[in-house]
Amino acid sequence: MRELMYGLRRSMTSPNRNARTAVAVGRLLGLAFLICLLTGLYSHFLQEPASWMRFPTRPVSLYRWTQGIHITAGIACFPLLFAKLYAVFPQLFQWPPIKTPLQVLERASIALFVAASLVQIFTGLLNTFQYYPWPFPFKQVHYALAYVIIGSLAVHIGVKLPVIQRYWRARDSYDENGDFIPLADDIVPPSRGHVARERLAALDYDADALRDPDVVFPAEISSAVVESRPPRGFVGRIFDWIDRTPEVEKKTSRRGFIAAVGGTTVGLVALTGGQSITALGPINVFAPRKNGIGPNDLPVNRTAKAAQVLETATDPSWVLTLMRNGEATTFSLDDLEAMPQSAESLPISCVEGWSQMGHWTGVRLRDLVAAVGATETESLRITSLEKKGGYRVTLMGREYVNDPTTLVALQLNGKRLDIDHGYPARMIAPGRPGVLQTKWLSSIEVIA
Amino acid sequence: MTAAPSDGVELRVGRGTRVVRTVLIIAGALAILLGAWVMVDTVKPKSIWGLLTWLIGAVIIHDGIISPAVVAISVVMRRAGRKVPGGVLAIIQAGVVVGSIFTLVVVPEIIRKAKIPKNPTVLPFDYAPRLALLWAAIAVIVGLSVIVYLRVRARRASKLA
Repeated sequence: MRELMYGLRRSMTSPNRNARTAVAVGRLLGLAFLICLLTGLYSHFLQEPASWMRFPTRPVSLYRWTQGIHITAGIACFPLLFAKLYAVFPQLFQWPPIKTPLQVLERASIALFVAASLVQIFTGLLNTFQYYPWPFPFKQVHYALAYVIIGSLAVHIGVKLPVIQRYWRARDSYDENGDFIPLADDIVPPSRGHVARERLAALDYDADALRDPDVVFPAEISSAVVESRPPRGFVGRIFDWIDRTPEVEKKTSRRGFIAAVGGTTVGLVALTGGQSITALGPINVFAPRKNGIGPNDLPVNRTAKAAQVLETATDPSWVLTLMRNGEATTFSLDDLEAMPQSAESLPISCVEGWSQMGHWTGVRLRDLVAAVGATETESLRITSLEKKGGYRVTLMGREYVNDPTTLVALQLNGKRLDIDHGYPARMIAPGRPGVLQTKWLSSIEVIA
Repeated sequence: MTAAPSDGVELRVGRGTRVVRTVLIIAGALAILLGAWVMVDTVKPKSIWGLLTWLIGAVIIHDGIISPAVVAISVVMRRAGRKVPGGVLAIIQAGVVVGSIFTLVVVPEIIRKAKIPKNPTVLPFDYAPRLALLWAAIAVIVGLSVIVYLRVRARRASKLA
C-alpha cells in the first residue's frame, strides 16, 4: 500500500506541486475568498438588514462596486482554486493516511473546505445567468456555505500555519540550484527501479541493453539489473512506465504554470468584467450580460411576464397608494406626472453582478411621502404589483427615503419606462441592489 | 522521478504560532457551526440532502476524475514529447489549461441558453462560436509563442557554440 501511494505521488511529481506554490496561490485565493465574503455580507445585509442597520447612500454606485467586485473575484477563484488544488493534489496520497488523531479533523475539514468551495463558485457562476439545475435553494445555501467556507479556511490556515510560515518567501523555499526544499515528512523516496538504473548509469551500463537475456554482465551488478527491469503486474508496469518518463525542466515548468494561472485569471476577468466595469465593455466576450441592450437601453432581470403583471401594470385605472396612520392617498399616473419632476443618474446594480448607469426622471420620493405627512425618521414598506416573489414586499430604510436622489421613476434614458422596467412607476434609490429597486409599484406604506 | 536532492526540513512551531493556530481553529470551527445553523434554520432537510449530494459529487468529480485526468495527460504528453523541448510542452500545456478553464465557465452558459432564457437580455451572445474562436486564438498564440521560443533558444545555442 505504501509503495502504491509512493508510486502515485511519484507519478504526479512536478516542480509546481509543492508547498511553496500552495502558499503563493493560497494567499491570492484566500484574499479572493475574503473579498467575496465581505462584499457578500454587505449585499446580504442590504437585503435582509437588522432593524438598527443604516447604509451609506454615497457614492451612488457603491453597490455597483461591491457586487461587481464580488462576482469578478468569484470568477477569478476558478483558476486560483484549481491551481491550489493542483499544487496540493499529491497530499491526498499520504501513507499512512492518518498519522495522528488530529489529522482526522484536518482531513475532514479539508474535504469540507474543497467541496464547499467548488460548489460555491460553480453555483455562484450559474446564478449570474439565472440557471439553477440543483436540488436546493441558491440564496440560502450560498449564504450558509459562505460561513462554512470561511470557517474551514480559518481552520485550514491554523493547521497549516507552520508550513505557511516556512514557505512564505520564495528565497526560503528553494535551494541554490532552484530546487524546492521539501519537508522531511513529504519526501517520496525514488523507486527501486530508478535507483538501480542510476547505479547502472553511474557504472556506464545501459539499463535497457541489459534487458536482453543474452547479454552477459558481471555478477556484482546482477541485483541492480534485476531491479532496473520493469516489474511484473499491471500496476507495477504502469508505475515503471511513468517512472521512466523524462522530467520536466523546473524553470520552464514554473513559468508555464504561472503563465497558465495568471493568463486564465486575467483573461476571465477581462472578458467577463464588461458586464459591470464600463471600461471593459468593448471586450465583453463571455459575460452573461451586456450593457446598453434591452428596452430603454438597459438589460432586464425579471420581465413583466415572469412577474405576471402584464394586465395589472397596463390597467388604465392603476394608482399608486400611499398609506400613513391608516389613511390612504392615491396618485394616478397623471397625478405623478403633474408633480415636479427630477432627473437623476443612478445605477441598476444587480445581485447577479451586472450593472449599468441609468438616467431617470420622476418624482422625488422625499417630496411624495412629505405630501402624506411623513417625517424624516420614518421608513417605508413598498409593495409591487407582482403576484409572487421574494421581493414583492420590501422595506426601505429612512436613509434612502430622505435621500434627494431617490425617485419614483416614470422615465428611463429619455423614454417612458418600459413595462419590463417597471411601468407605470418604479423605485430607484442610490446604492441599493436591483432586487430592492421595486418595479411596478402598487403601494407605499409609511411606517415608524 | 527522483527524490528531492535535499534531505528536507523539519517544521518548527513556535509559541506564538501555537497561540494563533489555536485561535484560528476555534474561530473557524465556530464559523462552520454558524454556517451549519444558518443552513438548518433556512433550508429544508430535503434540500440539505440535495446539497450533500452536490458536495460529495464535487469532490468525486474533482479528485476522482479531473485531477487524475490531468496527471495522465501530463505524463502522456511528457512521454510523447520526449524529443520536444520542455518549453514547447509547457507552452502547449498552458494553452490547454487556459482553454479548459474558459470552457468550464462558458459551457454552462451555452447549456442555459439552449434551454430558452426567460428574457433576451440574459445571455445575449452566441457563446459556442465565441468559445470556438477563443480556442482558435489560443492555438494561434501558442503557435506564435512556440516559434518565438524556438528561435530564441536556437540563437542562444548558437551563441554558446
